[in-house]
Amino acid sequence: MSSKMTARAMGPGMTKDSDDRRLLSREECESILERAHRFARSGGETRIGIFTWWQGELRWGRNRVTLSSDRRNVMLGLERSVPDGRTSAGRITTNQFDDVSLEAAVRGAERISRLAADPGWGLGDYPPLPVYPPHKGAPVWSDATYDLSVEARSEIVRSIIEMVEAEGMLSVGYLEVRAAASLAKGTELPELRTTDYSMWDSEYQRWTNAQLSMTVRDPAGTGSGWAGLSSYDWGRIDPEAIARRAIEKCLASRNPVALEPGRYTVILEPQAVAELVSVMLDTMSNREPPENSAMSDSPWYLGVDEHLMLHRSKLGLKIVDERITISHDPADPLLGLPLRSIEYPGPVTWIDRGVLTNLGHEFATDVKALEGRHTLRGPVMAFRMSGGDASIEEMIATTKRGLLVTRFSNIRTLDRKSLLATGLTRDGVWLIENGKITKAVKNFRFTESPLFALNNIEQLGEPVPVFRAMPIPFVSAMPAIVPALKVRDFSFTSLIDAV
Amino acid sequence: MVPVSEFGVDAVIVSRRDLLKAGVGAAALATIPRPLLAYFDTGPEPVPPIGDGRIKELAFRAVEAALAVGASYVDVRLTHTRTRNFMYSFVENTRDSEELTVGVRTLVDGYWGFASGHSWSTDEVVRLGREAVYHARVNSLGRERRVELAERPVVVDVHWETPVEIDPFEVSPFEIVDFFRGLEYYTARDPEFKLEGQGAQFEVKEQAFACSDGTYITQRLYGSSGSYTLTYRPEPRVSIGWQLAGLTRASVGWELYKGQPLREQIDRLREEMREFWKLPIKPVEVGRYDVVCDALSVARLIDGTLANATELDRALGYEANADGTSYLNDPFGMIGSHVVGAPALTITANRSEPGGAATVRWDDEGVEPDEFTIVKDGVLTDFQTTRESASWLAEHYRAKGVPVRSHGCAAAEAGIHAPIQRRPNLVVAPGKGEVGFSDLIAGLSDGIAVEAMGVDIDFQGLNGFGGGDRVYEVKGGKRVARIVGAGFLFRAPELWKNLKALGGPNSVERFGLQTVKGQPMQTAFHSVTAPPALFTGVTVVDALRKA
Repeated sequence: MSSKMTARAMGPGMTKDSDDRRLLSREECESILERAHRFARSGGETRIGIFTWWQGELRWGRNRVTLSSDRRNVMLGLERSVPDGRTSAGRITTNQFDDVSLEAAVRGAERISRLAADPGWGLGDYPPLPVYPPHKGAPVWSDATYDLSVEARSEIVRSIIEMVEAEGMLSVGYLEVRAAASLAKGTELPELRTTDYSMWDSEYQRWTNAQLSMTVRDPAGTGSGWAGLSSYDWGRIDPEAIARRAIEKCLASRNPVALEPGRYTVILEPQAVAELVSVMLDTMSNREPPENSAMSDSPWYLGVDEHLMLHRSKLGLKIVDERITISHDPADPLLGLPLRSIEYPGPVTWIDRGVLTNLGHEFATDVKALEGRHTLRGPVMAFRMSGGDASIEEMIATTKRGLLVTRFSNIRTLDRKSLLATGLTRDGVWLIENGKITKAVKNFRFTESPLFALNNIEQLGEPVPVFRAMPIPFVSAMPAIVPALKVRDFSFTSLIDAV
Repeated sequence: MVPVSEFGVDAVIVSRRDLLKAGVGAAALATIPRPLLAYFDTGPEPVPPIGDGRIKELAFRAVEAALAVGASYVDVRLTHTRTRNFMYSFVENTRDSEELTVGVRTLVDGYWGFASGHSWSTDEVVRLGREAVYHARVNSLGRERRVELAERPVVVDVHWETPVEIDPFEVSPFEIVDFFRGLEYYTARDPEFKLEGQGAQFEVKEQAFACSDGTYITQRLYGSSGSYTLTYRPEPRVSIGWQLAGLTRASVGWELYKGQPLREQIDRLREEMREFWKLPIKPVEVGRYDVVCDALSVARLIDGTLANATELDRALGYEANADGTSYLNDPFGMIGSHVVGAPALTITANRSEPGGAATVRWDDEGVEPDEFTIVKDGVLTDFQTTRESASWLAEHYRAKGVPVRSHGCAAAEAGIHAPIQRRPNLVVAPGKGEVGFSDLIAGLSDGIAVEAMGVDIDFQGLNGFGGGDRVYEVKGGKRVARIVGAGFLFRAPELWKNLKALGGPNSVERFGLQTVKGQPMQTAFHSVTAPPALFTGVTVVDALRKA
């Protein structure tokens, strides 16, 4: 070995500076936005936002690290609509922020704005939305994540690989630590904020995100196990526990037998529950504007009240088991989210003891139709799902015949109205007979709706954080706390022999 | 602060009418250079065209910096990417983006390190070179790992550009928007039809590649695509949408749209959709059928199964934690001998076909991709490789007496990403004679025909689930009904072994497909050219039926 690694995270030719230059600071972002805004002085509306991000990545396969990386970029998004108040904004994205590039971007946005047709709304059409004071919720930044050095990552993965090699298995996985920050500055005169809320200000916020996931494979190709976790805080991720889980699942999943498709009682681990429930939560992000309701295939559209000539939704109706509550409180230490100034900073409950209480928001609909019940929050990003206190062991012990599922993969919605979805089990399915796991079972394709599953719950486990990774660096994490569930009559429609 | 007039544009006041009146080609407006800056030794300057010698100097600064701290191999990619998106919703607008990125990849004792950023400056590229080596070195303290890079010739100071007829960035955005508005109005002449969709995208990527063996290559690559759906509303509450053909991603310019008879296609689709709607509806009957698939369905079936399964890194498990592995799970044992389909099935790969979505002159490791055969007469013949993975097949290649070389499948989405193995353009060899989709149907006495099948495949590319709205019952060579709710269940080896007939050379169509791969994730495009096909013994189920 030609050089010794010291305890500090510095390598040859590097200084502490380069490590601290990973994100643009608040001052740097403010200066850039100020300079850019100076070029947009001829009226109209302008919003300029900056995203600055950094990722430290470590990927491995077949028990050897395949790539260690440090990647950094900046995204400057500029929206400008020219002064007559009735054209759509032109949008330009660039990653250079010197004066010359900024001015070119502003001019470019103006040109583009002139291309757009009259959107049908403009100055005065939008009632004002409340602007909340800067949000101080649960932490979204962790020094443990930001300071996880190249050596530390390497050491963690070396240990994991050793554990896997000791069992004679092959591992493949990915560790990523990420930090990002954003700042946006909108039109100077609040009275002129007439277009949709994306044109508004948002404070400088920075956040971190960490993830570790790994798959352990049997060299003979008959078994596969997976485990993973994500969090803003690397300190909440236990690599050894993840490795142990993935190894155990791999060992236990070898030489699976084929079972007949059909309806089974299933014990879904939290990861699988999160994936299934997301099918439902993803549709709660945008309420259909009433004009489109006649064509609506939204699962939450109920129909037309012909006497009152109103479109009705399922708000206020019980849609799932009363033991299910799905909510988000930005003050929840595990569910911190960076919020924009026009996003409601308090708790939001989408499903309250089985009753649909809130839907996500379409800007125009929300403002006009939900006066007084305003809880504007973007798509359902982070959530906590209620549970119970049954452990997975208890669920197994009380199952006469059923299946234990690690996670799902390749989920696709088949019918939006009923939320009937199809997907595959992956990385471990086991048969339970008379309260005990008896065999590893080959993977299945399921055809099931989360609405059906959440109406056929037998037992609920304790909610725990699950793995939720955003592949795009400048989008914040989407933490979720989800329980394991025992569900009856879950429909598996065909056998697949993929491992 | 720089006054606006210095750039020769008083953009706030100029209106479109003024431009047309003045005869100033609106194209001129679109070609005002975007002065992103590069920081050469002489100071900041507008980014020059990629062939400028100062970019080469910058690239080799990174190489030197990495070699100086102990790398045994270094490559550098600088990319300057411009994209223009015409978003079609109820208001047309465009989104433009422009980015400069640079990435350095280094090898130390069999371990790769990578660092990337957004500034084309000496300080930054030197930092990246050192950082990349640092990453590689830290990890090389682990277990021993050997990397052999299959040989390729050193190429110096070469340049290539995607040949396009009309540079989309030289076309005025006004003209482009008018073109789409024209299509919309043309469609709307018939009030039951409407043109909807996601819009059109254009991209030009200038990239420079430098390597520690002295290789230096520059390319200017174009990509265009679009997604438009013709929607038919024959009755209230009924909406049928069919995609316009021929607009998938290709390495071409504005001629993707201008060069196509889109109005004729719209006319033809209107007729076909009316015919479709008139057909009686038949609920799906579970069973095994002879199925005729159109070219798009065959392309998707190939892409999900064999294209997927013949990525060598995937077959060896390197993507198991992401998208999955391959059902060709013993590449070294299977190559050259394993039967993957009927003798009629031959699949070749290239990155050279004009307009192919993966077409380049050199890949992102400086390799000139060759045309190679993946499946020959139903037998697995080769895998998709990069310099590192090609060396894993060295024994096989030597035994066959062929050179041990990468097939040139390395691609990085931009300088910010490290290159990984991505799919090349794939070509399914057609059958013989003047046989097309309708001929295959005409020859079917009892079966099913499907157009534009959506294909869902498992994480080994093995078991698939197809479906869609354009599924027909065929009786006596005619489409007699449309089937609602059909799902096609298949397993790749059986599907391709049950391939009974392929359309002829005049029936092939090319489609640009997008894939994502890797952790972190990258997107890439490639083309698949395929004829329509007839399969026997395909299992058809009720897609919406639970167990």
